[in-house]
Amino acid sequence: MAKTIIDAHNVSKVYNPKTVPVHAVQNVHVHIEEGEFVALVGPSGSGKSTLLNMIGGLDEPTTGNVIIDGVEITSLPENKLIDFRLHNIGFVFQSFNLIPVLTAKENVGFVLQLQNMSKNEREKRVMQLLNEVGLEDKVNSKPGELSGGQQQRVAVARALASKPKIILADEPTANLDSKSAGNLLDIMAKLNKEEKITFLFSTHDMRVIKKARRVITLVDGKIDSDVEQIPT
Amino acid sequence: MFLKLAWLNIWRNKRRTLITTASVFFAVLLAIATRSMTDGVYENMIHNVVSYSSGYLQIHQKGFWDEQSIDNTFEADEKLSQILLNNPDVEHIMPRLETFALASYLEKTKGVLILGIDPEKEKEVNNLHEKISQGKYIETINDNAVVIGEGLATQLKLKANDTLVLLGQGYHASSAAGKYRVTGIIKLGSPELNNNIVYMPIQQAQYLHGAENRLTAISIMLNKSSSLDKLKTTLQMDLDTDTYEIMSWKEMMPEMDQFITADSTGHYIIIGILYFIISFGLFGTLLMMTFERSREFGILIAIGMRKRLLAIILLLESLMISLIGCLAGVFGGFLVVLWFTKYPIYFTGELKEVYENYGIEPIIYFSNNQNIFIVQTLIVLMLSVILAIYPGLKVIKMKPIEAINS
Repeated sequence: MAKTIIDAHNVSKVYNPKTVPVHAVQNVHVHIEEGEFVALVGPSGSGKSTLLNMIGGLDEPTTGNVIIDGVEITSLPENKLIDFRLHNIGFVFQSFNLIPVLTAKENVGFVLQLQNMSKNEREKRVMQLLNEVGLEDKVNSKPGELSGGQQQRVAVARALASKPKIILADEPTANLDSKSAGNLLDIMAKLNKEEKITFLFSTHDMRVIKKARRVITLVDGKIDSDVEQIPT
Repeated sequence: MFLKLAWLNIWRNKRRTLITTASVFFAVLLAIATRSMTDGVYENMIHNVVSYSSGYLQIHQKGFWDEQSIDNTFEADEKLSQILLNNPDVEHIMPRLETFALASYLEKTKGVLILGIDPEKEKEVNNLHEKISQGKYIETINDNAVVIGEGLATQLKLKANDTLVLLGQGYHASSAAGKYRVTGIIKLGSPELNNNIVYMPIQQAQYLHGAENRLTAISIMLNKSSSLDKLKTTLQMDLDTDTYEIMSWKEMMPEMDQFITADSTGHYIIIGILYFIISFGLFGTLLMMTFERSREFGILIAIGMRKRLLAIILLLESLMISLIGCLAGVFGGFLVVLWFTKYPIYFTGELKEVYENYGIEPIIYFSNNQNIFIVQTLIVLMLSVILAIYPGLKVIKMKPIEAINS
């Protein structure tokens, strides 16, 4: 039996509880096992990003708790939570969000530097990652010199740098053209398959949804359906 | 890499950074030039006054300062001179016998300050001979001649080679009276000295007062004016303080010290205002650098960067911007100070006369004291640290998700 890697238990998020309460997520239970490739789908405002942020420890649930790989992150003090994210969770954001003044190599190596990895090891790991995402010829390019798809691949390499257990991706293909999106998804699927990294991504991009092996649909902050499928 | 990141970050908006560093540069340059000029003027003022009158330090018979009488003199002692001369901070010592007397020429009489001096040593220390405006300087230590201030000569209507009569009180209540040839008339910067001073060879002064080999003071000139307090402390340990009192010019001329302190305060306020203004520029730049990168900061915190480290990077950015401007300002200030210490500003024409009428040398000297440069650098560094506190606190309080969504 596979190990549970994400366990969001009875999680709710209410914005403006004292004025005009907005129930972004309501009593959601999500249970994801190691190595899954899960798409979180739903219309805009359905609570996908909010749920993803709470699972990533970027936002606090109003009620409920989130357990990642056996650690209840909702009760961790701030610095411990940051350190936990550094070692266990990789993030890929919609707008790439690389550090514009650093090269692709430095952007990927930044996370490893935060982990105090030695320079030699870091160099090796960064080159390996950029190789995996097909950017070995762009190591010294700054984000401004890369296309959107290339920037997102650097972001994926950065998310993978610390060898996280899970990667959370918030609409990773939203700003990409079809070809770039296809490339990115192939890389993510390959990493999921070969390195057993758990992927959870919010999306309403059909190309992404088709690649997922499990699709959780959120409507009005509640889970509407949770189905497994054969990726195409 | 964090140092590199901070460095790269400050150049994201080159124009803004250059404007901010330029404001720091001009503030530091102005502050250094102003401080150097005022310190130079003060140092010169002090040097002029102390070298013509008190010296930086004086050794007296204990109790002399409270009761400045010829009876409170002490015997010139070779051992005492050696102790003083052996101290590395001492440049010169000048034996002096200082008394008050009445000076008379024809129908005019005036109270004067008689300063018994070693003419050769004074020549060496303060170029007294170069201030002679009429006649000539005293030739030997026992020359029966005096040099008097130009103001005094005007008041007594006396010229060089006229004879001056001096009448005063000598040692142990003897009377001191004598006639002296006025060998020269001297023009001094200080109006008070100019109107009252009578320089006399020390042996003649001792003979006049019946005080052979006795001195009212040994005046000490220093290698560096900054070693005043250190030397005073050393001498208080080296000398018998039951016999001698050691006083600095600040104690002997408190009004000048107070004037310098008051005038300095004015300059400090002006420099303070200057730094206050540039602080706003620097603070504005730091705030903009923080707020325009809120989203990026949120991402960095999300991927595992501790907020404290982020605040340190902001501090580094603040220090870097300030240091670039500051070091350029120090270098520019150094060149300005170097130029003006080599070529001081000489006033000419009417301005020169105005200065001279007030008894001030019509020259603006600049000080090259390294403390001026160190202090300005430290002020800017301190400012940049203080100004980075607020953006740093903003980062510490930042919620990553709010920052990412901002």
